[in-house]
Amino acid sequence: MTIVTKMKGVATAFSFAALMSVGGASLASAEDVTLTMAVPDWPPTRIMKKMFDEQYKSATGNTVKLEVDFIPWPDFYTRVNASLTSGEQKYNFAVSDSQWLGAFVEGGYFRKINDLLDADPEFKATMDSMHPNPLNAYSTYPHKTPNFYGFPQMPDVLVNYVRADILCNEDEQKNFMAKFSKKLPCTPEEIDDIDWDMFEMIGQFFQRKKGDMLAGKPADDDFYGIAYQAGKGYDFSSMQVNGFIWQYGGNIWDETQAPAGQAEGVVNSPEAVKGLENYLRLIQYMPPVAKTGTMDIFKSDELFREGKVAMNVNWIGLGEASLDPKTSKVSDKLVFGLMPGVRGADGKIIRWSNIGGQPFVLTTWTTDTQIKEAVGFVKWWLSPEIQHQFAASGGQSAIKSVYEDPKYVTYRPWNRAWAASLDWQKDVWHVPQFYDLLTQQQDQFDLAITGKQDAKTTLDNIAKYQQNLLTEAGLITK
Amino acid sequence: MTMTATQQQTPGFLNVAPDNWKLAIAVGLAVSTAAGSLLSASASFWVVGAMVAMVAASFVVYAYRRHYYGGLLVSPAIAVLFVMNIFPLLWSLGLSFYAYQSNQQSIRFVGLANYARLLTDDLKAPELWTNLTNTAMFTVLTVSAQMIVGFLLAIMFAKQFPLRRYLLILVLTPMMLSVVAVGVFFSYYYDPTFGLISQMVKSWNGEQFILFSSKTGAVAGIVLADAWMWSPFVMLLVLAGLVSVPKYLYEAASIDRVGSWRRFWTITFPYIRGLLMLALLFRTIEAFKMADLVILLTKGGNDTMTISYHVIRIANEQNKTSEGAALSYLMLFVVIVLTNLYLYIANRRSRET
Amino acid sequence: MATSTTFWEKLGFRKASGVSEAGWGQTLFAGLISLIYFMPVLLIIITSFKLQTEALAVPPKFFPTTFFGLVPEAYVFTPTLENFTSVFSRAFTTGAAAQSTGFDRFFFNSMFIAGSSVLLALVIGTLAAYGFSRYPLKGNDTYLFIILTTRMLPAIVVIIPIILMFRIVGLSGSYPGIIFLYTAFNLPFTIWMMKSFFDELSPDVEDAARIDGSSELRVFFKICLPQVIAGLAATFVFGLILTWNEFLFALLLTGVDTRTVPVAMNQAVAGGGIGVLWGLLAAIETLFLIPVFLVTFFLQNHLLRGVTFGTVKR
Repeated sequence: MTIVTKMKGVATAFSFAALMSVGGASLASAEDVTLTMAVPDWPPTRIMKKMFDEQYKSATGNTVKLEVDFIPWPDFYTRVNASLTSGEQKYNFAVSDSQWLGAFVEGGYFRKINDLLDADPEFKATMDSMHPNPLNAYSTYPHKTPNFYGFPQMPDVLVNYVRADILCNEDEQKNFMAKFSKKLPCTPEEIDDIDWDMFEMIGQFFQRKKGDMLAGKPADDDFYGIAYQAGKGYDFSSMQVNGFIWQYGGNIWDETQAPAGQAEGVVNSPEAVKGLENYLRLIQYMPPVAKTGTMDIFKSDELFREGKVAMNVNWIGLGEASLDPKTSKVSDKLVFGLMPGVRGADGKIIRWSNIGGQPFVLTTWTTDTQIKEAVGFVKWWLSPEIQHQFAASGGQSAIKSVYEDPKYVTYRPWNRAWAASLDWQKDVWHVPQFYDLLTQQQDQFDLAITGKQDAKTTLDNIAKYQQNLLTEAGLITK
Repeated sequence: MTMTATQQQTPGFLNVAPDNWKLAIAVGLAVSTAAGSLLSASASFWVVGAMVAMVAASFVVYAYRRHYYGGLLVSPAIAVLFVMNIFPLLWSLGLSFYAYQSNQQSIRFVGLANYARLLTDDLKAPELWTNLTNTAMFTVLTVSAQMIVGFLLAIMFAKQFPLRRYLLILVLTPMMLSVVAVGVFFSYYYDPTFGLISQMVKSWNGEQFILFSSKTGAVAGIVLADAWMWSPFVMLLVLAGLVSVPKYLYEAASIDRVGSWRRFWTITFPYIRGLLMLALLFRTIEAFKMADLVILLTKGGNDTMTISYHVIRIANEQNKTSEGAALSYLMLFVVIVLTNLYLYIANRRSRET
Repeated sequence: MATSTTFWEKLGFRKASGVSEAGWGQTLFAGLISLIYFMPVLLIIITSFKLQTEALAVPPKFFPTTFFGLVPEAYVFTPTLENFTSVFSRAFTTGAAAQSTGFDRFFFNSMFIAGSSVLLALVIGTLAAYGFSRYPLKGNDTYLFIILTTRMLPAIVVIIPIILMFRIVGLSGSYPGIIFLYTAFNLPFTIWMMKSFFDELSPDVEDAARIDGSSELRVFFKICLPQVIAGLAATFVFGLILTWNEFLFALLLTGVDTRTVPVAMNQAVAGGGIGVLWGLLAAIETLFLIPVFLVTFFLQNHLLRGVTFGTVKR
């Protein structure tokens, strides 16, 4: 054979082989796709991982692995922030607090999902089946515009944790009636009907010293009627104060009104001042640690679980620990109700509250294959069946069909307050300057809580700071 | 020092020769800062790496040519420090002249604007001043407490007595705890409802004791936890000095019936002075960076915010990297002035004796 | 020459046999002070044996048994070893099976990373300290000062460039990266400390050895180094303690495989949807204390040996 023929032969052989391998590859079916997720280390995320490992099967036939980095709450923001901003590009999914959306969307880290929703009507339907308040809070940026980013991992609201054994006690009922000429609430329905005046009366009534009679026997330690969050860290006072401000008719700086929406005049409006004053007035009836400014959600929860408080307003997310006899001294004595509100002229209660909970988001560097699997995962997660399972294990669902199902309230004692609360949820700002605004606000609230300045000065300071900051950032124009 | 080879002339500064390490350092620093500011992260990193190699090489050549062992001995340490510490420091310094936020892609040169803002802006300047005074207050309080308690403990342990080994380790343990554990448990000890201090007070007068209800209480609580944790550090250093005093000196002194006070100053003190200074220096530097305990115990409430915690809030939470860098360099400036003062005093003292 | 026993000697605070020895009186006194000083740590250790519901009891429960009725019930708790097993394996959600927490790995990582970096710093730093001490340059003080300044900034300032650097070189989440970083942390203190010890040595003995023909290397190893054993031991202990508990860089630069205990410790704080898991946190801390405790205990002798050559101080 000539050299040319030999070459031709070799070339043919090579191309044949190449064709075979390419053809073979396209015939290959299953791929291994890994989705890396950053989540806080607590039961709702542990449950999600467990359910995924046990039940998830991808519709595309690929083997999907969910690699979850469980990060303890105190370090969560630090780690996720450092990972995102350093260009590490490690995570495909991240759990995010709703307020962080602006900062990370502007930084280009969180992926907009509108295209995914438009391409998949089933997916869009799932998102639409969510209550609008959590959807707006967890998913949209700018707030309440149809630009979607996230899905609820663990939606959460503030509820009232109540010591039924104390409140329903005959002696206490009798004495309360004698003192205030009103019935001391005891049943869940009565608890739902508590307004802040009643809350205050309970606070006054149940301030007991060690040795005083409490529910028929001498108290073994000082006891307090009421508690809610009043801490300096993170958002552990703003979340409650905001509720007060909205309920009394005031508002925080409204990002949906930008750039016309002002901070001066809104943040320190007379109604807002009234709201803050009421918040502050109730602190005197709370355990003394409130005066140090360190009574955050964990501390008030700890006091409640140790049996020092009759009524505590806190996130549902902390509720499991109260029901577990290993961590709670009062596990079998509790009922749960709606967070108290302001009674309007018509006798109905106004219950505006700041939504809690976390969404999870996709990151912008996730590849197309991963995106396909990610959408599959989210659809699975938000499917009614899985959401029911999640709720039955102690989670919460924002999907209407799930929480309106009669079974839902049987899953956990606080679920009875869930559906009604959702209508009243608003959220704090989501703009990129969120942390700056929050830190200054928390510092000011701390000064008020520890008694160093009054409500009006506090809100004036906050208003001035926010006006300056947001004007500089271009989010406010006169 | 042995001089086995003819001493070569130290080259003039600008003499471009392989052993002119001074020039190498200067060039290295200049190029690194420029690279850090102008080039992308990866490119500037390799440039700096090359600079480090160049400096290290020039040191080695210099040392080798002169049998100058000092350079050889010192260069590994310098290399490690440069890469791990100095390079990032220079980078941050460079960043402080820009307006950069780590969660945004844009970067803009602003010169000294960050520093100016920190020192003159109506909202930021008073905050800076308060944080600085708080930090100074904490430093003075906790370092004094540590020096005093550490010194007393060292004296107690100076002599050999039965079971000394076992008791000493007990006192050293607080240093070994992690800050998280100390912070969490001390906030439990200080808690008005559950804490031990409050309960002791309550058994007296029936009222819960709220340590953190005032600035004095909060500062006391933080200083107590910090001094408790670090006095053993001072103790150990002083102890190492105390036990190295030759015994025959003491015996001679007791023969001469020297009073204990004089004995201390003339015999003991010279041995421990260097170590005391070292302890003072290092504890001051660390105290200036105090943030962990403040975060865990008060979160800066009751006016206990320190500069370091403030930097953490700015740089970490608010992602204002440039502003955080500028603030830290201001802080660094203060610390440098302070430590120079210490060293000046210490050197003067040692020249007098 | 003292004839009769003095007051202090009777009490046991001083021994007639020597000026630097004392008797049981001193032991009792020191014992009391030490125990008081140790008390907060003791409370942590006790808490590690308590159940969550008894950790915050009012009045606080100190005693594991009533010591045959000597101690009133209110102060007694039921001891449990549950917390210690929970450190290594526990159920993360109620009703689930216990899972390994990875803490065995974390303990190993802490020991390996801290140990290597401190040893490395000791070697490099002692050499450098010797260099600075015996071959001082004109700008010695300046160089030493610059070395010191690397310790003056809070970690958060340099964290981003270091993360970037690690990522580019591929050191992120690996052992060499973090060990190298910690070595750099320990160097300033090591250098300053060892230099101070080297400065104290009198050069007469060294010069004598040199005149006798010893090489520089022999002088260093046979004469200088043995005299500063106390310094080496102290530096090692301090370095170990500081590195052992380092948090911020470990948080951001260690991957899942190389994570150290201080980072993982936060699992017990605001983990599990609850504030602080007191028993668990105490157990982790108690276990974490043990390695450093042992190392320090065994190095004590070297720490306290002091100068044994009896050389005349300059």
